[in-house]
Amino acid sequence: MRNAKMMAGTAFIVLAAQTQAFAQEDATACKGKVPTLNVIAQGMPAVTALDEHLGEFNEKWGTEVKITLLGENERRAKSRLDASTGAGSYHVIYIDEANLAEYVSADWVYPLAEVVPKEYDISDFRTDLSNVATVDGVQYFAPFVGGGDVMMYRKDILEEKGIDVPTSLDELTAAIKATNDPDAGRYGWSARGQRGSGMNVWRWTPFFRAKGGEWLKEKQPVFNNEAGVEATELYIDLMEYAPPGVATFNWSDSVEAFRGGQVAFLIESDVFGPWMEDEAKSTVVGKVGYAPPPDPLPSAGWAHGWAVSKVGADTDCERAAAGDFVGWATSQEMEQKRLAAGIASDIGRVSTLQSDAYKALVPAEYIEALLATSEKTSLLIMANPAWPEIGDNLGLVLEELFSGTRDDVKSALDEAAFFAEDSLARVK
Amino acid sequence: MTRKPFAALSLAPAIALLAMLAIVSVGGAIWLALMNRTLRSPDAEFVGAYNFLRLLRDRRFFNALEISVIWELFTVAGTILLAVTLAILIFETVKKPIWRNLLCFAFLVPVLLPRVAAAFIWRFLYSPSLGVINYLLGLVGIGPVEFLADPSLALVSVAVVDIWQWGLFFTVILLKLLETLPRDPIEAAMLDNARTWEIHAYVTLPMLKGPIISLVLVKAVESLRSFDLIFVMTGGGPGTATETLDLYAYQMGINMGGRISYASAMSILLLVVTTIAFTIIWKAGRRWAN
Repeated sequence: MRNAKMMAGTAFIVLAAQTQAFAQEDATACKGKVPTLNVIAQGMPAVTALDEHLGEFNEKWGTEVKITLLGENERRAKSRLDASTGAGSYHVIYIDEANLAEYVSADWVYPLAEVVPKEYDISDFRTDLSNVATVDGVQYFAPFVGGGDVMMYRKDILEEKGIDVPTSLDELTAAIKATNDPDAGRYGWSARGQRGSGMNVWRWTPFFRAKGGEWLKEKQPVFNNEAGVEATELYIDLMEYAPPGVATFNWSDSVEAFRGGQVAFLIESDVFGPWMEDEAKSTVVGKVGYAPPPDPLPSAGWAHGWAVSKVGADTDCERAAAGDFVGWATSQEMEQKRLAAGIASDIGRVSTLQSDAYKALVPAEYIEALLATSEKTSLLIMANPAWPEIGDNLGLVLEELFSGTRDDVKSALDEAAFFAEDSLARVK
Repeated sequence: MTRKPFAALSLAPAIALLAMLAIVSVGGAIWLALMNRTLRSPDAEFVGAYNFLRLLRDRRFFNALEISVIWELFTVAGTILLAVTLAILIFETVKKPIWRNLLCFAFLVPVLLPRVAAAFIWRFLYSPSLGVINYLLGLVGIGPVEFLADPSLALVSVAVVDIWQWGLFFTVILLKLLETLPRDPIEAAMLDNARTWEIHAYVTLPMLKGPIISLVLVKAVESLRSFDLIFVMTGGGPGTATETLDLYAYQMGINMGGRISYASAMSILLLVVTTIAFTIIWKAGRRWAN
């Protein structure tokens, strides 16, 4: 038995050494052969924090990493255009839960294990994020940020009004109305109103699901049913208690309104929790409580990460350099460096969540809320290659309803569902 | 070699290059418009006029067409009106060259700003909760006004930024043109006891008819290219309240479903409509100027 263990251990060490040697060999053989490594990304803290470390990667591969930063919708549009036209300008693409199905079905990205060296330990990625990055059992992108939803609330306002932390949607609705005080520049609620599958649709979907909504029935869109109408009406009602301009708010507007002290309740992606505790930018440090979204609201699972483009990285050296970049940029070491720089919002690895450095940076209450919300986190959007189109079009009619351009909820959703039928037919 | 063939030969390479660029891109767009190509898949089939016929049943297309026309009329008229008014005002009230030159310099700054930068600045200025405009309105008990989130205000609010950039620039041009006009007709009108507004309405502005028509055409072409301004400020929203044709073509072709053929059909229709409209306007303008 002891011998077997020793043999297994030896085999593991040899394998690890071989893998390491292979990666080194790749870097040596390809050094200088990829003059520029083009990366498309969104300006998340995990991305912008890479800037000061890029020198070491450039040195290793004799390359220059160029990261193009774009807003979410623009990033999605540009990377899709790049892959679909065969332009292949980007070796590494930023990918997320909304467009993964499309990218996999179009065969635009490599499976992660095929391109990322083993030394970067893919198994250490958080399971909830890896699940979002996986299609049919194959993981395609390395997640560095993601999670689910958390309800953030102003403890001081709730205390002043004598309101308990809501545990149901009805209680939340009542609390939002009770804390709304526009004359004092304080609003009960904020949410995303701006069109987009990753914008208003993303925040509306938990309400839709809470009402029992399903996207498809017998492969036909049914989100224009009673659940869709009820969810939309409730969302519109809550927007009455939100800051002016909420009909076109994106996530940034909403988060800034909350940490600017204008809002009592906000249900947003859990990564924004640490943003509230940033003393340089937040006016509500120490005043924010964190809890899972009240029942029956589910939590919208999401993940953003990097994948290697088959269209952009089509030579062995490009693939090796791009794969190594993805592994390096999402490694345990990089996450620890971010924590050392005070960035606690973008965590993709289990080992980082368990580290003392992480626990020192965020309130214990936030970690408790994270753990509690993970049980109700799942992918709530339609997992279909046509989703970006369907979601964006649904987002458009929702924005029309939120802004008052139209007021017939049922007919607006009917129109979006009709459009979705067309989109789904094209996929077939 | 006589003068005419020499001129033709000199121009030929440039014209050939321009024609090639135009023909290739327009030809490519027409070809795409006749297919059912999407960005999701490289496979496509020939569908004839399907995309054009579908456009005729598309509510958003007609909305975008209407918004484009309103945008065009509003920004062109607003720019010219502002420019004429300010140019005359400065011409009549600011007599010292140094003050005029300083004003001209200040008026040139907005148009020198990149459109995207101007759009971001104004988006912030318009913000209902953080913007300075709403702060000032709040001091007199108005607002907060949702300039970019209110469907009835959004298009006008974005148009104001366009007029701010181009109207002030055109003011400088018109002011300089007013300064170059011969004094005799103006003095003759003054001797006839014409009022200031009469002098400009019946003497100076008719003398500037040709340049003003040119400015109108330049602005009309420029207004067709306002994608960046609208995209940054509203993205076409709220709903479709500021969605112009180029923005809708982008949403359909690139941003939303990647229906590149459908977007191409829209672009071809836009090209045809604008070519016809500008030919008519150009001919009418020339007739009026003569």
